[in-house]
Amino acid sequence: MEKVVEVNFGPQHPSTHGVLRIKVKLDGEIIVDAQPVIGYLHRNAEKLSEMGLYPKALIYMDRLDYVAALNMELGYILSVEKLMDVETPERAQWIRMMMVELNRIASHLVWLGTHGLDMGMLTPFFYCWRERERVLRIFDEITGSRLLYNYFSIGGVYSDLTPKGIDMIKEFVNTFPDRLEEIQSIFQKSYIYAKRTKGVGKLTLDDAIAYGVTGPLLRASGLKWDLRKNQPYLFYEKVNFDVPVYTNGDVYSRFLVRVEEMRQSTKIVKQVLEKLPDGDFYNKKYAKPMLVRMKGSGESYVPTESPKGEFGVYVIGDGSTIPYRVRIRSPSFANLQAVSIMLKGYKIADLTATVSSVDPVFGEVDR
Amino acid sequence: MIPIESESKTKDGTPVVYISKENLIPFMKEKKDEGYDMLLMVTGVDYVDHLEVVYHLLSTKDGRRLLVKTKTDEEVDSVTGIWPGANWHERETYDLVGIRFRNHPNLKRILLPEGWVGHPLRKNYPMDKKQYVNLGEDGEDKVSYDPKEGY
Repeated sequence: MEKVVEVNFGPQHPSTHGVLRIKVKLDGEIIVDAQPVIGYLHRNAEKLSEMGLYPKALIYMDRLDYVAALNMELGYILSVEKLMDVETPERAQWIRMMMVELNRIASHLVWLGTHGLDMGMLTPFFYCWRERERVLRIFDEITGSRLLYNYFSIGGVYSDLTPKGIDMIKEFVNTFPDRLEEIQSIFQKSYIYAKRTKGVGKLTLDDAIAYGVTGPLLRASGLKWDLRKNQPYLFYEKVNFDVPVYTNGDVYSRFLVRVEEMRQSTKIVKQVLEKLPDGDFYNKKYAKPMLVRMKGSGESYVPTESPKGEFGVYVIGDGSTIPYRVRIRSPSFANLQAVSIMLKGYKIADLTATVSSVDPVFGEVDR
Repeated sequence: MIPIESESKTKDGTPVVYISKENLIPFMKEKKDEGYDMLLMVTGVDYVDHLEVVYHLLSTKDGRRLLVKTKTDEEVDSVTGIWPGANWHERETYDLVGIRFRNHPNLKRILLPEGWVGHPLRKNYPMDKKQYVNLGEDGEDKVSYDPKEGY
């Protein structure tokens, strides 16, 4: 009698965070082999970007990781600015840094809430969504949209901070750490949560590096590697923050890393508000009508630390107004590949915990 | 030492190394021993008269980065034996650009359904021709040009 049974997990399943399908081979309850199947949300953003002008590709970047759209925009904009040798005013860079950190908080809150749902905890979901709503209202005030912003532009940002927006940010950073403490305690005081996540979905450091895993997963596996510290872009070397590292490499460590990252992001936003210089919020040489005539040549890749890991866009220009080749390095794609190692030998009940700890967002995996 | 064809730099200052495709595997092994322990991505570029594969390497110990480029005509050796993480990246490059990787453990399409005609990131890919996908009886995707046979 054949002992190993093949089971399909997804693509329509509430805890796969999108359209992920995993072919699981089971021996009783033990996972013998797990192969993720992706591509259900494929739109080929790379080809679409190659069909229009440089500023036009920005809207496709928004739609990659739609819960952290500004981080995605940043990766593309920094690459294109390097390609075109565009200078950005200091104020614009500080604004970008603050917005990106706020978006990191929003992205981690989405993860924390849905991770709770996967673990059978309904309460933290509402707490996380309440906090995220406040971030989205700040974005609504400053950028004009709640989810897909199209806010960064070549040479700056599209609109300056409003006084009301600054007040909202101040109010948020002052109250958020306490509320985060509250949300964290819901998880940490739960005996069931600890039982279900400690020692589950382990990923050793060697495996993580061999599979190109970056971001919170790598830091939970024991490597202090954060591009904001190791290879600073924008003004990250001028602000003071810590990089959390844990060595267990299990789901619980990833939870701790992400919660601590939110706290550090709040710290960065506070410092940016203090240090924010006056000046232009975009480079006056490149006003909006100019942008469509901008030409790029050569190649560039600027790595940035998105909430999920190393994100960057490798752009090749041929001297025309249209990019010749756009290649998106999406962190979730590489991270998701390591899921099959993380799952091997664990029980089928650990699958949802492990998959949700990777924090895959399918706009970005399938592009 | 493995001979390097030429060297250059990208606009952001990362060194670029061109290597012939025969020397690719020994060169990559050498680089891995030099400390480039992470392969970030594999990119295929269609330059109309030839194809090019670009490997982004990173050393997590000291943060060095390196781009390795090799010219090819649709076929190149797989680096999955050196970095297991290259698996999906090479599958994606095969899927979208149409570069075949020799000795790859599972060279199948990854983002597009099996049976798709053409490779979208080629410059001569017909953008006006629609292909329709439907789920077949055996659970695998079927691709057709006929709108009645899919969505």
